[in-house]
Amino acid sequence: MSLGIARPGLERPIGSGAWGRGVAIAIRCALTLLALGIVIQMFIVVEARPQDLVTGVHGMADIIRRALPPDFSKLSSAAWPTLQTLDIALFGTLVGIIIAVPLALLAAANVTPSRYAYYAARAVIGLTRSVPDLVWALLFVTAVGLGPFPGGLALGVHSVGMLGRLFAETIEQMDMAPIHALELTGARRIQVFSHGIIPTVLPTLLGISLYRMDENIRSSLVLGFVGAGGIGFQLLTAMNLFQYQEVSLLLIIIFVIVLTAERISAALRERLA
Amino acid sequence: MLRVCGLSQRYPNGKLALADFELTVEAGELVIVLGGNGSGKSTLLRCITRTLKPSAGQVWLGGTDLCALEGEKLRRARLELAMIWQHASLVRRRSVLTNVATGALGRHSTFRTAFGRLPVSELQEARGHLADVGLADLAEQRAGTLSGGQAQRVAIARALAQRPRVLLADEPVASLDPEAAEEIMRLLQRLARSRIAVLCVLHQVELAYAFADRVIGIRAGRMAFNLPRDQVSRDAVHRLYINEAA
Repeated sequence: MSLGIARPGLERPIGSGAWGRGVAIAIRCALTLLALGIVIQMFIVVEARPQDLVTGVHGMADIIRRALPPDFSKLSSAAWPTLQTLDIALFGTLVGIIIAVPLALLAAANVTPSRYAYYAARAVIGLTRSVPDLVWALLFVTAVGLGPFPGGLALGVHSVGMLGRLFAETIEQMDMAPIHALELTGARRIQVFSHGIIPTVLPTLLGISLYRMDENIRSSLVLGFVGAGGIGFQLLTAMNLFQYQEVSLLLIIIFVIVLTAERISAALRERLA
Repeated sequence: MLRVCGLSQRYPNGKLALADFELTVEAGELVIVLGGNGSGKSTLLRCITRTLKPSAGQVWLGGTDLCALEGEKLRRARLELAMIWQHASLVRRRSVLTNVATGALGRHSTFRTAFGRLPVSELQEARGHLADVGLADLAEQRAGTLSGGQAQRVAIARALAQRPRVLLADEPVASLDPEAAEEIMRLLQRLARSRIAVLCVLHQVELAYAFADRVIGIRAGRMAFNLPRDQVSRDAVHRLYINEAA
């Protein structure tokens, strides 16, 4: 098939004639080989051994057999870590929002008060976002000890980066006409912020925050594995003690939490849209 | 009320957008500025509001030269100068009433209004302004649900909440149908009669003939004419656009 696209400066369209078709076929072959090479190196790097999965499947089946039925007698003892997990996520999200909002105002090119503030805010957002929450959790555990507090702090700091960036982008994309109109009425900067910018972007910011809360609930489960408390920590302990029936109960609780949070978050975001 | 003296604006690329411009708008007067695209009409308004600092000249609002002011002094002086645009520029998710009342923000202390609240007295006054523009029954409706004509009337009500002595309008009817456009022009005329000096940039020549007290023609940043409505010839207006196109 001839591409037949005329380009300025070229005497004849690309792909017209036998030479053009040959080049097109060569490019396609090269791209196919490149894609194949990427897939092959991926299998080598991850040391993929599908045969081991087949031969070792009985080990998995054995664990699943020992995990059933779930030990519902441990339900009451799982209530407190469940609440801890939810509160770690809530704490992290709230801390993230409180710090990210002013940071985003500095990091949004259209409302930032100065270029230096813009670059400083962008640097803080970049740093908090690029360091994974697990690393932040390890750092805070060394500072404040084991428990839910370092987990909440880790999620808070990491959320600052994620929320700060998304908040700043939302502010940068908003319609500036009502803001300029308010400025011209003689409103002060803080009044323009509270009466113009916030009402304009609030639904989007809330939507982003709800989505972040949903993410933080999942992250707080994982943070329990590094000593940040909550249901993740209880899951790790149960696994280390080979209490697989308790593990299955905890997995059911996690499934319910994640699914419920996802649904609530999605429903609220839909209402805000 | 509003006096512009020797106003010039040269852009960094060297283009002279406004050259030694002079005009006066008295209280109670509706002055309409006509001119082609790029003739300097919007630059004139931007220089008057000081969103653009003119290269030379003065803008006198009462006894205050806006061009000599900066920062807080400029903000205070500008409280008496309201502006409406082609698009109403309302905060779409807030109610009509709230949008109108925000016009009064500049008169209130930062602390009382910093958290998105508005004084009850201003909300009451805003209802009055909404009644003035014929939209009292839409006070609680979201601004984003209004038609173009309604939104523009709300923008005018917001300008009134500012209690201005001068009202500037930059093509306020450009995006409206003929009926809504006439309604807005009638409203501007009524405001002028209530002792507000109104300076309005328009593209619709017929509306200028119908509503203006005085018409100013602007061509290539210079004043082509400044005459009472009934002395402006069709020929003179026609030349504004012919010359722009040439």
